[in-house]
Amino acid sequence: MGKTMIQKIIQRASGKEAQVGDRVWCNIDLSTARDFGGPNCVLQFDEVTDKAKVWDPDKIAFTFDLQAPAHAEKVANNQKIIRDFAKRQGISKVFDVNWGIGQHVLLEHGLVKPGDVILGTDSHMNLLGGVGAFASGVGNTDIVASWINGTLWFRVPETMKITTTGSFGKGVCMRDYLTFLVGKLGADGMFFKAVEFYGETIEKSSLADRITLCSMVTEMSGKVGLIMPNGEVLDWLVKRAGKEVLDRIEAMKADADAIYSDDLHFDVSNLEPMASCPDAPDNVKTVREAAGAHIDQVHIGSCSNGRFEDIAAAFEVLKAAGFQVSDSVRTIITPTTREVMKQCAEAGFIQKFLEAGVVFTNPTCSLCTAEHYGVLPGGDVGVSTTNRNFIGKVGKGSHTYLVSPMTAMASAVKGVLTDPRDILK
Amino acid sequence: MGLTFAEKALGKAAGYPVKAGEVVTVEPHFCMSHDNAAPIAKTFKKIGVPKVWKPDHLVFILDHAIPAPTDEHAVNHKEIREFVAEQGIPHFYDVTSKGGVCHQKMCEEGFALPGLIMIGSDSHTCTYGAYGAFSTGIGRSEMAAAWATGKIWFRVPESLKITVKGKFNKGVSAKDLILRIIGDIKADGADYMSVEFHGPAIEAMSIAERMTLCNMGIEMGAKNAVCPPDQKVLDAIKGIEKTNEWEALWADDDAVYASELSYDLGELVPCVAKPHTVDNYAPIDEVKGTKIHQAFLGSCTNARIEDLRLAAGILKGKEVAVRTIVIPASWRVYRQALNEGLLDVFMDAGCVITNPGCGPCMGNHEGILAPGEACISTANRNFKGRMGNKESFIYLASPMTVAASALKGEIADPREVL
Amino acid sequence: MEQSVLRGKAWVFTDDVDTDLIYHNKYLAETDPKKMAQFSFEYYPGKEKFAKEAKPGDFVVAGRNFGCGSSREHAVYCLKELGIPVVLAESFARIYYRNAINNGYPVLFVNGLSEAIKEGKIQDGDELEVNIGTGEIKDVTNGNLFHGDAVTDLEKDIMASGGLIEYLKAQAAKK
Repeated sequence: MGKTMIQKIIQRASGKEAQVGDRVWCNIDLSTARDFGGPNCVLQFDEVTDKAKVWDPDKIAFTFDLQAPAHAEKVANNQKIIRDFAKRQGISKVFDVNWGIGQHVLLEHGLVKPGDVILGTDSHMNLLGGVGAFASGVGNTDIVASWINGTLWFRVPETMKITTTGSFGKGVCMRDYLTFLVGKLGADGMFFKAVEFYGETIEKSSLADRITLCSMVTEMSGKVGLIMPNGEVLDWLVKRAGKEVLDRIEAMKADADAIYSDDLHFDVSNLEPMASCPDAPDNVKTVREAAGAHIDQVHIGSCSNGRFEDIAAAFEVLKAAGFQVSDSVRTIITPTTREVMKQCAEAGFIQKFLEAGVVFTNPTCSLCTAEHYGVLPGGDVGVSTTNRNFIGKVGKGSHTYLVSPMTAMASAVKGVLTDPRDILK
Repeated sequence: MGLTFAEKALGKAAGYPVKAGEVVTVEPHFCMSHDNAAPIAKTFKKIGVPKVWKPDHLVFILDHAIPAPTDEHAVNHKEIREFVAEQGIPHFYDVTSKGGVCHQKMCEEGFALPGLIMIGSDSHTCTYGAYGAFSTGIGRSEMAAAWATGKIWFRVPESLKITVKGKFNKGVSAKDLILRIIGDIKADGADYMSVEFHGPAIEAMSIAERMTLCNMGIEMGAKNAVCPPDQKVLDAIKGIEKTNEWEALWADDDAVYASELSYDLGELVPCVAKPHTVDNYAPIDEVKGTKIHQAFLGSCTNARIEDLRLAAGILKGKEVAVRTIVIPASWRVYRQALNEGLLDVFMDAGCVITNPGCGPCMGNHEGILAPGEACISTANRNFKGRMGNKESFIYLASPMTVAASALKGEIADPREVL
Repeated sequence: MEQSVLRGKAWVFTDDVDTDLIYHNKYLAETDPKKMAQFSFEYYPGKEKFAKEAKPGDFVVAGRNFGCGSSREHAVYCLKELGIPVVLAESFARIYYRNAINNGYPVLFVNGLSEAIKEGKIQDGDELEVNIGTGEIKDVTNGNLFHGDAVTDLEKDIMASGGLIEYLKAQAAKK
């Protein structure tokens, strides 16, 4: 019987058959923690193992992106707890506050290969499925368990197959497509499932777009979204992570007779800019419908949409609008990593953003977790390219619209929620 | 008999000649507040006067924690926005790329002008003395009263004259001079005095360097600090003056001073202020090799383009050995640094470059310390817990010393890397 | 697993209760589970005082996809430390589910609970009797009966050991 991608990945990582529903112990290729969750892991590991050695210091990585740099005493202390532990254990892969958002940093450093089994203390770890890695966000106990034995159990999920055709119209992009999916399938539409993405739209998409798409599988309660690297994305991956990438891809291709729980098809040709409206990701409307809504702050960034291509798309909108954002809104851009920040500087983007009134910060998770760069006071409304918008997420009593970078910048320009097609004529 | 600068400035504002020791009531020209404008507004409202006396005399600049990192800060900022709208305050620098650290903005935007009486609800308001203003920090209640009445009283301070001659040796800069002076006369050495900087070395200094000197006037207890409003100042303010009511005032040659000091730049060495007081001076040889965990290049004291250039000169083509946080003093400085390629140097060196603001200077934002950590910083205070944790250690130093130390991962002599 | 019947008040929540509503990102820097209880549901509209008002032995009753969102284990610790003996929900988001198992923290999957909540068949303040072992749930206030499924397979073994680390230690001891 044919196997899906996730079955093949789990099979390689465990040496077991991996039928849907099985509980299988997998070898972990990379176990990572952030400065959030990380200190909890360290303290728990030391307590339950009596300060033993980790199974393999080369397969553990720490990334600091929650509050980079720290502004709360507790966080500064937590970061120190991790640094001290890494030193003690001989863990060299420590990406301190000067690198950026964890998953992206690991990817840029060639530490992620298709078919890898990767853990992290953040629910959007699974965006690495965008390059075909089985990455999973887990709690600190799971991480600690992996540090002891180098393995962790997984329930082999069913797989949903989604084929996407068509090209995006002007002002429309992958972010709008995934918002459409969240609206269509709902907050638990991919419950416990792996998802394989196919189709021409996916095959010709950029790395940034694939990451964006896979980043919100979590918001539909999916386990991981997987895309087989090809074309330029494959070239990039091989350059960063090595030729082994090619062998991995061969080994994890889904069989022609693989069994899927769902087989969905969507065409994006007529897709419009979309928004997740307050107060849930699946409260989806077209931007056209919601346009004109009062807003106080615009934020472009996060692990979902903070790569160079995302910022470049926002730049085009700002350019079309004459390089000026509205006085009535605070506009903040946060690149995902130092590499992206440099690219933005070299492309001349930062200068123009600053001229236009936009605040450009260093790479971090920013307002997405634990209070950093842009907390909203009660009653304020934010527009953001992050991935969650439950009430109060970004500040008690605040509300958020989740949109694409183009929609976000269009809204910054006009000072109200705006369809980017109104500017990109 | 001649008058000091303070006597002249306050006399002009009072409308009659005054001498040190007298109490005068004057109308301030510009009143600056930052994130603390919200609590001041609350106090103002208790006074019962519906409107501030002259909305265009108030300047609000958000800088302490921007963009807001907590609920409390976010609500604080919102309250300020509401007050600004209610009172029709035209000079408001919100979280946009037109902002920056308050004192830097006051100088960049043409508020700091010779001879003006300027007050701010921040102790480093003395910085504007670099532009020849009589400028001093006051408390929140006093500020609220000033908003309501348009008046503030001063006891005309005695003056301390500091004459500086000579040239800086390689690796030595204005920060080393002011740390040395504070180390000599101690934290209360200029208590309640007006500090005047004189001499050929001051005249040769850039405005940026003079700002570094005046900024730290408060750390010796001074009421205000001031440099001569010479051609450099006049050139700097040309075309941007926010009012034409300024006047270049300077002390008479026969002014009477409570005390006088003199320094020769050629005798100075790179130095630090050791934990935990600003007057805990030590020459670099004494502290070289001390391990550090973080280096901070920022603050109203030393994060202008001139400072960033000096640091970038040392870091070019190299990598830092410790967490290094670079925070330009304003977006205008940030952009200039970007255009000059300085930010590339910092990024390649592994520094974190954040948005302009006060950052970790007072333990509020972007880079506070964990227990047991040591930081070398271009800011102006190093009291216990200043950068957020009572069990951490802060060494104050110049941009060059901070950059050299960031390279080595320990306190280092910049002369060895230049 | 205990076979005793637990009795307590029901605190009823909707579908899709995100982890930020259970335990807000504002408190993520906390590393001591005992200090997390006080922040439970602080951001859930209408239940902001939950941590003060809920009593040990009370039940959290929710619809579908409880605990969706972040992987923060804090969202399990806070309820466990507060003394909530079990969470009853139509379904649990996968990471929350794992985190609960890993801490030996009981969760029951109650088919039809989401609809029942929407229809008012179980309400805030109702007195409940819950048998974690058998899965029998009785709303004493209105007589409605529900049935919850406990976890199975490997998760059951992990729960029986008291959590993942305990399970691994027991496995290692066997060798």
